[in-house]
Parts: sequence; structure tokens; C-alpha cells
Amino acid sequence: MTLPPFVWLILWLILSAPFVYIIGRIDILTDSRRNLARWLSLLCIAAGWLGLGRTLTAFYEAGNIDLINSATWTLGAITMRFDGLSVLMACLVMTLMTAILFYSGPYVGREEGVEKHYALLLLLTGAIIGLVSAGDLFNLWMWFEAMAITGYPLVVFYTHDRTSLEAGIKYLVQSSAGSVFILLGVALVLLSTGTLDILEVRAAIDTTVIGTPLWITAGVLFIVGFGVKIALVPLHTWLPDAHAQAPSSISAILSAVVIEAGLIALLRSLSALAGAAVTWGGLLIGFGLFNIAVGNLMALRQRQVKRLLAFSSIAHVGYMILGLGVALYVGTEAGAQAGFFHLLSHGLMKGLAFLAAGALLYGLQHQLGASDDSDPGSHKGLEIDDLSGAAQRYPIIALVFSLALMSLAGLPPLAGFMSKWQVLMAGAQAQDPTLLIILIAAALFSVISLGYYAPLINRLYRHKPAVAVANGRTIPLSMTIPLLILAAAIVILGVAPMLAGQLTAPAAADLLSFITR
Amino acid sequence: MEPSLILIAIGAPWIGAVVVWLIGDRQPRLQHLTAAIASLVAAAAALWLLQPTFWGETGKVVLRLPFGAFVGDMTFVADSLGVFLAVIATTIGSLTVIFSQGYMAGVAQLGRYYTLVLLFIGAMCGLVLSGNLLFLFLFWEMTAFCSYALIAFYNDDPKAVAAGIKALIVTQLGGVGLLIGIIVAAAYLPDLQISTLLAAAGSLPSDILTIIAFGFLIAAMAKSAQFPLHIWLPDAMEAPTPISALIHAATMVNAGVYLLARFYPAFAAVPGWTAVVIAMGVTSALLAALFAVFSNDIKRVLAYSTVSQLGYMVAGVGIGAIFESQFYLFSHALFKALLFLSSGAIIHELGTRDMREMGGLWKRMPQVVLPFLIGAAALVGLPFFNGFWSKELLLETALESNPLGVYLPLALGAAITTFYTARMCRMVFFAPIQHERTADDHPHVPLSMSLPLALLALGVALAWLLAAPFVSWMWATLPFHAEYILPHRAPESLISTHTLFAWSTLIIMSLTLVGLYLGWRAGATTAASARLAPRIGRIEAFFNESAEAVSGATRQSAALLQKTQTGQLNWNIVGIALGLIALLIIILQGVL
Repeated sequence: MTLPPFVWLILWLILSAPFVYIIGRIDILTDSRRNLARWLSLLCIAAGWLGLGRTLTAFYEAGNIDLINSATWTLGAITMRFDGLSVLMACLVMTLMTAILFYSGPYVGREEGVEKHYALLLLLTGAIIGLVSAGDLFNLWMWFEAMAITGYPLVVFYTHDRTSLEAGIKYLVQSSAGSVFILLGVALVLLSTGTLDILEVRAAIDTTVIGTPLWITAGVLFIVGFGVKIALVPLHTWLPDAHAQAPSSISAILSAVVIEAGLIALLRSLSALAGAAVTWGGLLIGFGLFNIAVGNLMALRQRQVKRLLAFSSIAHVGYMILGLGVALYVGTEAGAQAGFFHLLSHGLMKGLAFLAAGALLYGLQHQLGASDDSDPGSHKGLEIDDLSGAAQRYPIIALVFSLALMSLAGLPPLAGFMSKWQVLMAGAQAQDPTLLIILIAAALFSVISLGYYAPLINRLYRHKPAVAVANGRTIPLSMTIPLLILAAAIVILGVAPMLAGQLTAPAAADLLSFITR
Repeated sequence: MEPSLILIAIGAPWIGAVVVWLIGDRQPRLQHLTAAIASLVAAAAALWLLQPTFWGETGKVVLRLPFGAFVGDMTFVADSLGVFLAVIATTIGSLTVIFSQGYMAGVAQLGRYYTLVLLFIGAMCGLVLSGNLLFLFLFWEMTAFCSYALIAFYNDDPKAVAAGIKALIVTQLGGVGLLIGIIVAAAYLPDLQISTLLAAAGSLPSDILTIIAFGFLIAAMAKSAQFPLHIWLPDAMEAPTPISALIHAATMVNAGVYLLARFYPAFAAVPGWTAVVIAMGVTSALLAALFAVFSNDIKRVLAYSTVSQLGYMVAGVGIGAIFESQFYLFSHALFKALLFLSSGAIIHELGTRDMREMGGLWKRMPQVVLPFLIGAAALVGLPFFNGFWSKELLLETALESNPLGVYLPLALGAAITTFYTARMCRMVFFAPIQHERTADDHPHVPLSMSLPLALLALGVALAWLLAAPFVSWMWATLPFHAEYILPHRAPESLISTHTLFAWSTLIIMSLTLVGLYLGWRAGATTAASARLAPRIGRIEAFFNESAEAVSGATRQSAALLQKTQTGQLNWNIVGIALGLIALLIIILQGVL
């Protein structure tokens, strides 16, 4: 039996993880200073890129000829399907993961448990690519759980820190609550349609009328269940804690990839139930508005940089599901493309923002915690005030951080501007008055967001540096280079938004194929 | 040829911006030089575009870059409205950059300063030359960002930072109007070209056209600092003075007027639109002039004067006087930049902006007195400076089209303008010396500062000669506007005894003389009129307080929301459960 390339990719990432752990462990036990786990994981991700390259070639070569069959792989009851949505997420996760593996070297340094951290990152990558290419609902749930559980030890990486343990518990309990709902939803779908394969479910719900309340309930359960991970308001309460307490590289992953993967999983399950696409679309638009409002207003009150960024993620999820909601509600590809573009650009810019904040934290850390020596586990949060004049000491980091913030605020000519623009354009094309009011609100909240991004940028460019900044330590090149690459990506996607079409157009087409059948 | 000239006008400053940033703050001389060269190249390219062979009509795209389905084609058009503003942006921009060499000498973080200034000049050219609505919006936002970052340039000063953020948020609120207008237009039009909107305006559904028209109007209101969104401009005076001259007097604030003029043919028929435009312009012209009377900060006086003068242009667009309003804009850009830059030279020397601490500069700074007085004379409208012709032309048209609603208040405004200008000139130059810094009686004003002043003063004295060619240029290149450009006059009658002895002119001149006399008298005492001042101050404060109330309410609601983030796991789970129940109720009541 020949395996399609994407299955090879997933298998490679998952199977290489234990080796990275074991070799890393031996490395540490033998007291060597080579940091083998890091180099090995970089090697594995490099090999992963080869796999992804093969996968992408296969995907784009297949073109229009019977994509569904050529990209489907079945083993017993497990169906895997690599379509446009999978391509989009796989590219995003691989890009960010590579950046983070480079970055993590100095950032996590020789903290206790680094070898686990590297192995878990590889595992997480595999789980996410698996999640986005799952072809049946139960399998989707399994991958989703795998992602959640892999994420947990990463959130509580600083095991001696009480706040980070608390954040981890919240993350774990709330996401399990969510996944119970998902499992219940899966059961209801099986009950009403007798199948779990997404395509078959989609075909079945058009013909069966009796089970409608059952699968509608299932859809609601999916929205709530996945919604916990996506941080739909009011299910978002775990997110600020977890994103702020995790190491910055992990915050970047959580914010830039895990949320998005959850969103793709939600879309997958809802597209199986696309018989009620208008309802789902309406709900997503409503949640979108909630998220935009709550995320932006809450961020306005934050004094801690990473908490601020976490709330801004909630707001940006709002823009993504606004676009995707429009796609489901009206059935236009424009909305889906816009939503996916915002997903992509949010992944890049929020990843960059967290990594840049982390780089500054790395530079200033030994200055911030007075209790640093007595309690090595304490990781004091980075306050906005600590960043005064950071541009004096770290001009490049300050520049890329400002670029990320400007892009998040939707200022041109950066990716965030273009993707927000597309979301609003797609909404307006529906020519619906209610929707127009929601769009105006979304645009106004985007202006409010300047109220917290702009002061942060001003801080960075103060003339008089804060004491901590003046005595900050040098930030190594292996942390700076990934930041520069992500910043370049933001600028390039902002100047040439049509490049994103390569990824967003197939994803949108595949999503729409479920709605308009 | 046109495409490359347009690309140079936008691109040269941007390349310069990157180079200046790369040079780094250790070589300020090289930074000055690079910035000057980049802006001069752009100015040369923009001036080159003035040649009749390069004239392009509104609908005629000279440069088209495809940008994919969502964005449409990025297009540039070289018609008179656009090129004219690009010329202003680049020439005054380069004069400002040259002036900055003296003014900003020794200031830290020069790289950031020049990078932002150059970015701004490029973006401003893009804004006015763009033929695509999205790119117009994109450049619009870029200018807003540059303006904010430059107002807050002295980041260590909380006042500057607050002013910058205020400017950003107010102009972005306006930007939302523009954004909504554009996306609504895009939903009903085949593409995003400006000419498409102008051509198809009549066939759009009327409510849709109304949304677009008022959306654009809000944007113009915020950008051109018209009432009640003018509040950011006086605070923006925290910016370095060259920035006030360039961005907050000569270029960016004109973008709103440009927008209104550009789309006037499309929106003129929208019920109520012109009435609102006129009301907004007239109110701004009068109220801001009053506020200027009671300010003692020289830059604040000039800022309010800018709001007031922009009100004249906006009201001019409102009555359909496209040419007069654009000509007014041209004159104002020159003389207000001159006034700001010369006040900058004064502030640079004295270290204060308070006019009560000035006085006696007549003898101390002769290099600055003459340019400043020329600028002031143009502002007042003394013959035969450029301000005289543009004001008389605009008011003459106003008298013909709307004597009570527009002419009367604007004439009154002209009298108040003379009053505060005379008061300002007396307080700064001729009042007894109030300051104690007399160590150096004849301070050295470097060439880099006096040269731009001299050139601008020359422009102010002579720019009115361009009126007739300007009209023919507008006729030739603006097919959509043609019927609104001087419908009843020949271009030869503009600069002539016809204008000089028109009724309107005679009335204005007598009002000016009264204003000059009273203002001169008022300048003798530093205390403003005791009875009126507090009342005006209350009106002035009212607008700021309402804005603060809005932002306070936003913060309050955020604080209220913060209570929902308890951090307790139990409550979080309750939130999830409640969310599920609420959704089930909403959805299932429809199905069951």
C-alpha cells in the first residue's frame, strides 16, 4: 500500500518526536552541553518541509481532477483528506513552527525539560496537520484531543511557577469541557445520519428530514465545543491566562496556530452539517461581533504586554469568523477567502508580536524579577512600562514589534490591513443592511484597538530608556532572524495580497463546495 | 513618461525613508542630506508632471498594476486635482525637510523623524494621484499614521503622546466613514476606480449613494479638522513645528477638501449633502476664528486659523466653487506653511510658544519678521498677495450663489481673521519686549531655515499669477467637474479689475481695515477681553469634553467588562454552560 505524502508527513512528525525526546534526555543525563534535542528537532522539521513540499506538489498538480478522491486516504474507519483547508493550515503551522524552533534555542535555553518541549512541539505540529486533514468526525475529535493534550505541558512549561500552573489547569479543564460537547455532538450526528465521514454526512442530511433537531443540536455542540479552543466569547476566559503565562514561543503557537486549527476543525464539522449553513453563518457573524467588541475593550485595560496581545487575539478571531460567517451565511467565496486570509495574516502577525515580546522579555528578564535568584521559576510578566525606550537598545526588535502591532491595528501597507479590508469588503458585498451595521461596528472597534496598540509603539520609541532596558542583555541572532522573516512576510502580504490567494483560494473553494451542493 | 514620474514622486521619498533609517542616528548630516535629496527628487518629478503634454483626464489611467481580485488594479491618474496637490506636497515637503536641518539640529532620533516625514510625502502623493478607491484609502491611512507618529515624536512628553493618539483616533474614526463608503460603493460597482464611481453615481440606489456621500463627508470632516471633529488639530501642535507646517497646514489637512472636491460631481445631487458641507465649513470658519482670537499660544492661533481657513475651502466646495476652493487651498498651503515655518524659527530661538512672552522681535529677528508679515498679510487678504485673490474670488462666488448663508458668515470670519492676525503680529513683533533672553541680540538664523522662508515668501507674493493657467488646466483634465468650474466667467477676468472692484471685494476690504485696527489695539494688552474670553473658552472646552466623555464611556464599559474576567475556573465553566444553553434556545426554537 502506498501512503500519500501528507500521511508520511504526519507520521514523520509524530514518530520523530519520541526520538528527539530520548536523545535529548540522554544528552542531558550525560551532562553534555550540545543541546542535541534542539538541533535534532530542527533536522526533523527540515525533513518535514521536504514532506510538505511533496504534499504541496501533489496537491497543486492534482488541480481540478477529482481532488476529493485523489487526496483521500482510508485505513479501516479512519479517513484522511488533504484539501485546501489542510494546505492552508499545514503551511502556516510549518512556517511558524520552524521559526519557533529556531527562536526557542536561546529563549528556553537550558530550562528544565527542554527536551520534552522540543519533542512536544514536533508532536503538536503532527497533531495539527492531522487535525486539519481528518476526514471523519470521530477522527477529527481524536486529533483535536491530541492537540489539546500536547499543548497542555507546553503551557505549564514553567512548572515551578504557580500562575502558570493555574493557567494550565484552566486550559485543561475548560478544553476538556469543550471536548465533551464535541464528542456528544459526534454521537448525535452518528445517531441522525448513521455515518461519520464528512462527505457522507453532508450527503445524508439533505435526504433525512427526521433527524434535523438532532444534527442541529450537534452543530450547536460543535460551535460551543470547538468554540472553547477558538475563544469565542463567552467561552474565552481561559485564553488570557494561558497565553500570558506560557513561554512566549508557546504563546505564539497557541495564538497563531492552535486557535486557527480549532477554527478549521469547527469549519470542517460545520461543513458536514452545511444543510443549515445560514444558521451557522449567522451564529458565527454574531460571535464575531461579540469577540471584536469584548476583545478590543478588554485589551484596552491591560497593563501586561502578553495579556494585551492575548485579548487582541480574541478580537482578531472575531474578524476571522466574521468573514467565514459571511461565507456560510451568503454562500460567497469572497467571505471565505477573506476569513482565511485574515487567519493567515493573524497567524503571522500575532506570532511575530508574541515572539518579539518574548525577545524583549528575554533581554530584560534578569532585570525584571527582583526575586529571580531566590526563585528561578518565577517569570514576571512584561509590563508596558518596562518597554520604555526599547528601540534605543533593540532597534530591530522594536521595529518588527511595531510592524506587528501596526499590522494588528490594521494600518497599511501591512497584511493586517489587507485582510481586514477583504473581510469588510466581503461583508459589504452581501448588500445586507444588518450586516452593514455589524461591519461599521467592527470597523469602529478596530479604531478603538489603536487606543492600546499606539501607546505601546510610543513606549518603544521613547528617548529615555527604562532602567531595565538600559541594562538589557543582547538578543542573539537566532532569535532575531525568525522575527525578521515573519516581519518580511507581513510586509510582503500587505504589499502583494494576491500572493495569499494561492493558499486562500483553494481553501475557500473547498469550504464552499460543501455549502453550495 | 507620466508613469515613471508618478512612481518617482511616490517612490523617491519612500526609498529615501528606508535609506535614512539604515544610515542610523550616528550620522545626522548624512541623514539630512539624504532626506533633502529624496524630497527634492520627488518635487522635481511632480513639477515635471505639470507640463501640458503630461496632462491626463480623470478617467484616463496612466499606470496600472494588477493586484488580484479583491483589491482591483492599483491605478494612478495625472489629472489637475491630483497633480496639483502632489506638487504642493512635494515642494512644501522638500522646503520643510531643508528647514528641518536647522530646526531639528541636534535632536535625538532624527532617523525616525526623517523616515516618517519622507513616508508621509510619498503617501500624500499616492493619496492624491491614486485612481483606485482602495489605494486612496490605503494612502489616506498611511498619512494618518505618519501624522500620529510625528505629533508624538517627542515620545517622552506625555502631552505629545496623548495628542498623537488623539489625532490618530479622531482621523481614524473619519477613516471608518471613508472605509464604509468605499466598501458599500464596491458592492454595487463593477470595480473600485474613482472614475467608475463618478460616472455611475447617478445610477446607484439613492440610499446607497447617501451612505457613500456622508461616509466620505465624515472622513473629510476628521481629516480636514472641521467641526465637530476639529479637536485633534490644536493639540497636534505638540509636533515639531516643521511638521505642523507640512502636515497640519499645507498638505494632510487638505486631503479632506480634496476628497470633497474630487467627489463633488457624484454627491452634489444627494439631498442635504451640500447643505451639510456648507454648514460644516461655515461653522468651522467662524468658530475656529473666534477661538484663535482668544489663544495666546502662537501655534494654537495658527492651528485654529488653519481650521477656519479650511472651513472656507469646505464651504467653497459646498457651493460648487471647485476652482475657487482649490485655488484657495493652494494659496493657503503656501502662506500657512510660511507662517508656521517662520513661527518655528521664532520658537526655536525663544524656546516658548506663548505670545505673551514674546514681543519686540521686530528688531531682534529681522530675517523672520518680513516672511512672517508677508504670510500674515496673505492670511488677512491684503492686496496683492495670493491670499487676497483667492479669498476675493471665493467670496465673490459665494455672494452670487448664497449671500446670506455663506457670504455673510464668511465675510464676518474674514474680519475676525484680520483681528487675530493683527493681534498676533503686534504681540509677537511690536509689543514691548516681554522676555529676558537678551544675551544674543541678533541670533543667527541658519541658511537652511531662512532659504525656505524666502522661497515661500516669494511664492506667497507671486503665486496668484498662476490662476488663469490653473483654470485651463482644470478644464482640460476634469471631465466630471467641468460644469462646476467657473461656469459664468472667463479665466482672464480672474486676476483683473473685475475682481478688484467687485462689491464683494469692497465690503471685505472695509471689514479687513476695521479688523486690522481693532486687532492692533487688542495686541497692545496681553489680557484678552475679560468678558468674552471665558465664554469662548467654555465653547472651546465643550468639544473636548464631549470627546473625553465618549472615550471615558468606552473605558468605563471596558472596566465593567473586566469584571466578567474573574479568573475563577468555576465561573469560566459556567460561562461555557450558559453559552451552550443560550445557543440551544436560540437555534432550536426555530427548528422544533
